[in-house]
Amino acid sequence: MPISLEEILETIRMTEVEHFDIRTVTMGINIKDCASDDLNKLKSNIYEKLMRIGSEHVASARKVESDYGLSIANKRIAVTPLSIAADGFHEEDYVEIARVMDKASDELGIDYLGGFSALVQKGWSMGELNLIKAIPEALSVTKHVCSSINVATTKAGINMDAVKLMGKIIKQTAAKTADKDAIGCAKLVVFANVPEDNPFIAGAFHGVSEPDVVVNVGLSGPGVILRAVREAPDNMDFADLSDRIRRMAFKITRAGEFIGKKVASLQNVPFGIVDISLAPTPMPGDSVADILRAMGLEDVGAAGTTAALALLNDSVKRGGLMASSNVGGMSGAFIPVSEDYGMIQAVKKGHIPIEKLEAMTCVCSVGLDMIAIPGDTSEQVISGVIADECALGIMNNKTTAVRIIPAPGKNVGDSVTFGGLLGEAPIMSVSKLDNIIFINRGGRFPAPVKGINN
Amino acid sequence: MPKYDETEVRNLAKEAIKQLGSQADPETIERVVKAALAKIEKTAETPRPPIELQHKTGTRIIITAFGKNQVGILAGLTDILARNKCDVLDLTQKILQEFFTIMLLVDISKSEHEFEKIKDAVIARGEELNLKVVVQHEAIFNTMHRI
Repeated sequence: MPISLEEILETIRMTEVEHFDIRTVTMGINIKDCASDDLNKLKSNIYEKLMRIGSEHVASARKVESDYGLSIANKRIAVTPLSIAADGFHEEDYVEIARVMDKASDELGIDYLGGFSALVQKGWSMGELNLIKAIPEALSVTKHVCSSINVATTKAGINMDAVKLMGKIIKQTAAKTADKDAIGCAKLVVFANVPEDNPFIAGAFHGVSEPDVVVNVGLSGPGVILRAVREAPDNMDFADLSDRIRRMAFKITRAGEFIGKKVASLQNVPFGIVDISLAPTPMPGDSVADILRAMGLEDVGAAGTTAALALLNDSVKRGGLMASSNVGGMSGAFIPVSEDYGMIQAVKKGHIPIEKLEAMTCVCSVGLDMIAIPGDTSEQVISGVIADECALGIMNNKTTAVRIIPAPGKNVGDSVTFGGLLGEAPIMSVSKLDNIIFINRGGRFPAPVKGINN
Repeated sequence: MPKYDETEVRNLAKEAIKQLGSQADPETIERVVKAALAKIEKTAETPRPPIELQHKTGTRIIITAFGKNQVGILAGLTDILARNKCDVLDLTQKILQEFFTIMLLVDISKSEHEFEKIKDAVIARGEELNLKVVVQHEAIFNTMHRI
């Protein structure tokens, strides 16, 4: 059946009016083979491999954009968690490696590079501990490098020593980048049950079981889903509403997978996965919060918000799974505050507190994402927030994360501005009740019964 | 052949002597070191498949143009296509009030020009006619709208 004018116009409306684009094509590169006990050799191995393998990534993405008229917002690279490729180094060595990664990113023309990472859910080696301690400096002296630390899994439980340390590291990162509204914290995420093929920043890294090189793709299509929901009459029931979302998710997933496969094949690299998370942008109309409002809520934060998000998330998965056999990564709606226009407005109006956001993270893909809190929040409180999200993650066997920005010198009523896709975040209030004894206990929070499933 | 400095070769020889133990004699050591160097070289030189950007993306493109209706839109667009030896396979147009929309399915296989060049030419012609023109390979529509 030939393509009709209506179908063509629908596609063009999606891309031109509703901001449908590909959020990212992320090339995963294994750097395990760059290992060396000589720092200089290691740095040059990593630099050379990135420059060799990534050389055509941006050009290929641009060609595909031009051929198919679909824009690709970011071109990114994810590498093997650095602590695996480079264990046993000193704190300052990791900063130097981060500089080399940043240099390669600049020269390749990519937007972000993920993988300044460590997986420490059960404990750490000296190298991993040093890498974590190097994060504040590494993120303050680089532009493109992003860091993620996995501190919990359903199988291993929660490494509470790491949770405690990450509260401190986040505070230090904020202090080191205080002149830029603590932007370092926007490039640092703490995970539970981290996926190994996630194309989205700041959590992207190239998992140890991945092939040498792979291209993964992430979508951005809240605007398209928003139209599908807005056009639904007020008396449409939930099954039909879900069906509308599902159909639209199918189309955008197909487009995303197609684009990812083209970018991969141009570089003779295998295609990995399409992540069907609906990444919002700070542009009006490209907001997950707006979709929830269009379902019939006065604003996000209203009673029913968590249910609305659950419906959205599940419906998108239904469509996405029908569209592609290669769904992976996070694959659920994102609810970052600073990156979502509707969410920013809701926070400014005082409609949604951090506790409601926490509840919402039980039914969507990430967690407390891009949330700015007062600069005087203690490191123990931040650790407590991380511990709560980890508990949700391991108990519900899902990914959760915390990307939180304790903005130095700022308080509720102020806001931080990062620009671009990172947007702006009004400072949200967070409980200041004392939790020091709880956080200082340390050790390993045992794996939940749910994790012992053999 | 990549050059190895003396220290590297000496270290290699030392390691060979250590590993060979009692079997170490000058001849064997030389053989082992040469074999090791050859192996390193082979690994370093394993070629990566060449990257070709001329990827087959199909020869059918879809041109969509919108703008205020006026005399000569269809003529203008088909003229530039004919000049580029592009074959119009199908077209649909609609006028809603003053607003004109047209879609052309075009085969570019006989053109001596690349997709990019044809795209730029059509967009430029569209601008002369005050039209917003989008040029895309057909495959994206098949992907999104057909199972």
